[in-house]
Amino acid sequence: MGRSESRAVTTPVPSRPSDTLPHPAARGMGEGRGGGLDRRATFRWLYLPPLLWLGLFFLIPLSLMAAFSFRANIRGNLLQWWTPTLAHYTSLAATGSYWRLLGISALMAFGVATIAVILAYPVAYFLAFRAGRRAGLYLVLLLIPFWTSYLLRVMAWKLMLGTEGVINSFLQYVGLIQEPLTALLYNRNAVVVTLIYVWIPFATLPILAALQRIEPNLFEAAADLGARPFQQFRRITLPLSLSGVFGAFFMVFIPTIGEYVTPLLVGGSRGSMYGNIIQDFFTKAANWPLGSALSMVMLVTTLLLVFIATRIINIRDLLE
Amino acid sequence: MNGRGRALPLSLYFFGLIALLYLPIAVLFLFSLNANISLSFPLKGLTLDWYEKLFDSPAVLRAARNSLVVAAGSGFAATILGTMVSILYLRYQFRAREFLMALAVLPLIVPYIVLAVALLLLFSVVNIDRSLWTVGIAHTVVALPYVVLIVASRLAGFDPILEEAAMDLGADYPTTLRRIVLPVIFPAMVSAYITAFTVSFDEFALALFLAGTEPTFPVYLFSQLRFANRLPVMIALAVLLMLVTLTLVFISERIRRAE
Amino acid sequence: MKPRKSMLFAAQGLMLALALVLSACGAPPPATEAPPADLTGSLTVLDWAGYDAEDFWIDFKNTYPKVTVNFEIGASDADIYGKMKAGDQADIFHPYTGWLQFYVDEGLVEEIDTSKLTNWDKVPDNFKKIGQIDGKQYFIPWDWGFTSVLYRTDKIPEGVDSWSALMDPKYAGHVSMWDDGPGAVTVSTYIHGYDETAVTAGQLASIKDEWIAQRDLNLFYWAGEPELVEGMKSGDVWLAYAWQGAYALLLGEGVPVEYANPKEGRNSWVGVYGIRKGTENYDLALKFLDMKLAEATGNNVVNLFYYGHSNQDVMSGITDETLKQAFSVDDPDILNKTNFTPNLTADQRDAWTAMWAEVKAAP
Repeated sequence: MGRSESRAVTTPVPSRPSDTLPHPAARGMGEGRGGGLDRRATFRWLYLPPLLWLGLFFLIPLSLMAAFSFRANIRGNLLQWWTPTLAHYTSLAATGSYWRLLGISALMAFGVATIAVILAYPVAYFLAFRAGRRAGLYLVLLLIPFWTSYLLRVMAWKLMLGTEGVINSFLQYVGLIQEPLTALLYNRNAVVVTLIYVWIPFATLPILAALQRIEPNLFEAAADLGARPFQQFRRITLPLSLSGVFGAFFMVFIPTIGEYVTPLLVGGSRGSMYGNIIQDFFTKAANWPLGSALSMVMLVTTLLLVFIATRIINIRDLLE
Repeated sequence: MNGRGRALPLSLYFFGLIALLYLPIAVLFLFSLNANISLSFPLKGLTLDWYEKLFDSPAVLRAARNSLVVAAGSGFAATILGTMVSILYLRYQFRAREFLMALAVLPLIVPYIVLAVALLLLFSVVNIDRSLWTVGIAHTVVALPYVVLIVASRLAGFDPILEEAAMDLGADYPTTLRRIVLPVIFPAMVSAYITAFTVSFDEFALALFLAGTEPTFPVYLFSQLRFANRLPVMIALAVLLMLVTLTLVFISERIRRAE
Repeated sequence: MKPRKSMLFAAQGLMLALALVLSACGAPPPATEAPPADLTGSLTVLDWAGYDAEDFWIDFKNTYPKVTVNFEIGASDADIYGKMKAGDQADIFHPYTGWLQFYVDEGLVEEIDTSKLTNWDKVPDNFKKIGQIDGKQYFIPWDWGFTSVLYRTDKIPEGVDSWSALMDPKYAGHVSMWDDGPGAVTVSTYIHGYDETAVTAGQLASIKDEWIAQRDLNLFYWAGEPELVEGMKSGDVWLAYAWQGAYALLLGEGVPVEYANPKEGRNSWVGVYGIRKGTENYDLALKFLDMKLAEATGNNVVNLFYYGHSNQDVMSGITDETLKQAFSVDDPDILNKTNFTPNLTADQRDAWTAMWAEVKAAP
């Protein structure tokens, strides 16, 4: 992928008082220079739109829902002041099965994220270093299936994996099995496999972005110094792509904890995840306060897990 | 660099994955030609009826159009906002820096259903009617984390020294951003846009709660799925959208290669 | 199905003739109302997915062709209730039995002036009662159906005669229950003879244990009828908690199924339409509801969706054998043996849905 670089200056420039300039980030807001907006002025333009958008359309509604988790029920005028109650949180604390399900969902999410990232890495590597000029095309090809309804795609898969589906018919025809395999669908494993399958293309993207900014010169230099390809990978590619790997991991891990669609479609009676419980309280029970309470618990738990994970990663950096 | 021979297992892996991704779509394609309303083998004969019926139903096409518009718009907004956040995080020092980053990524943790109900409440409080706009606003919020993760990933390794040089030469900051930073992160932004588009296009929970009388395609599909006999037409639409997209992509690739 | 032009002309012609006759008789003309064919306005209906199809309000469309009708989609009763509570501005909404008390308690629904409904006398009394809360007619019954045990006769040749079949270990791995807490509680009350309107905490606890055990027999919980139909068709599911629509569909596909008449009695549910309190389009909404009860609409509901309709002329006019079987039209006593879903209190709803959530979360 071509990277444009600023042209080398060929005309002499008047010398400046200081030759070494500190990092702009270290310098703070930056001094004004030349005509037009300086860094400080630009800051306002960069800062306000996302802040306003997220504040208005994310923070405020979220706070509303958090407040709702302390409301007894949704009877009466929704916006009238209500006496806060901890009833939902106490009933949550008392229901062991919800905690257990949260733990299982987190574990499943961890497994899905880890495997998806491992399987996505070669895809990103291929796109970054092997696909050449077709990389953009291949990337788009990777993502296009997601513009077909997920529902329909899973329906098609269920067809293939069902007891009378193509896979079972084929295996029986070939004689590998006598009875159709029932374990392909309607259990927790089916959920995990489906989620991994779905996440690989998305997980590719942050890894790809990280791989793309590795300078090709590094490889040439390493090769000149006698490094073999695998060594180049281990010492150059992998470490430099780690930020992308972690980005991909969290990108998959975090939303998967609250996943509900896939368990609904292929999980069967025992494959529910924590997200299904939340979903049900909103869309079947009209119990927004309890649903909010469950969501807040999941949010805090996820934040905690992410916090712990980033600490572990930082410690590893410190150790190296 | 590595020899070409090494490319083979990797490309096998990649194209194997592609095959696996498109397999259900191939199955759907088969069924869109199936003269039977049920999704089962064996096929009962080939027919183009479902595609005909598709063009007879303006509601279906309108739903597809709605999804395209919302996805294109929210993808664009998310990409712009997400890039801003990435630049702020990696090029500025200010007290709320970590807070802004955390806020931008936080939508990943919140279940869509919670955000959907919360936004429903918000919009009804301020008396904004539910419409494709409200859906688009919500989609921008949930697509933002993906944009930030992708663009920041790219920007993180880009040494600011070039921007410094440009500013020393008299460029103001916006010009610096435009001439130096943007070209570098542009591929990542395109990646991010496609991701944001994808996130929006098949999104259901938010669209269901926040759409007014104009449904997006997933919502419409869901509504039609209650009738088993409407299934083939919906499959025909999904396959058609796929074929159109693939064609467009291949055409643009052709054009690019011709240049 | 597009309305045929001839029907449009016929309707207009009829209205015109009627107006002429009335004026000739010297009857006072209707106060400030335009003839139906010219009446303009717009209505918004919060309805379930699929009911926005013209087939399901065809009479209204033909009689008042200039009125625009917009639809908002609700995905479930909880969804519709939530949207109404959040201030949805739809004029008309479509809940089902079990949820009606909440709308009255929260002041979300207007009382219906049945004297203005020309088709009201075609609705049987027991259906009219279903739309009455605290003695007032708040809702119009529209679609209805049965819930019972649907099973494959080739997989279960001995037949099914009780709701307890859903819990029978003989059918392990081949049962499919509807994903709904109140539905599950209802089934248990039928099996054990509990009073559905007064389930005690102790009874609820044992019901929970019962359904947790049932998970070992259950292949998957179905959320929508197509899912169930595919499951039964492929033979993965042998028996299920099902509405008669699935039964009619499968029969039409040639799958050998039977719709049980359990000794505890079938369940029945009714969908109703209500008018939002405070709507400015009350009169227009009434007209919409009136036309919803008309015959062409009713026939479409029966023939296209395999649901029952509250207009008894429509029901007695069913000729299709599959549908006659599905609705047990030939059994005049069927409705007396059927348990209609009572309206839940908010506490019951909370308790029963929480119970179901714990069933799904159980290890």
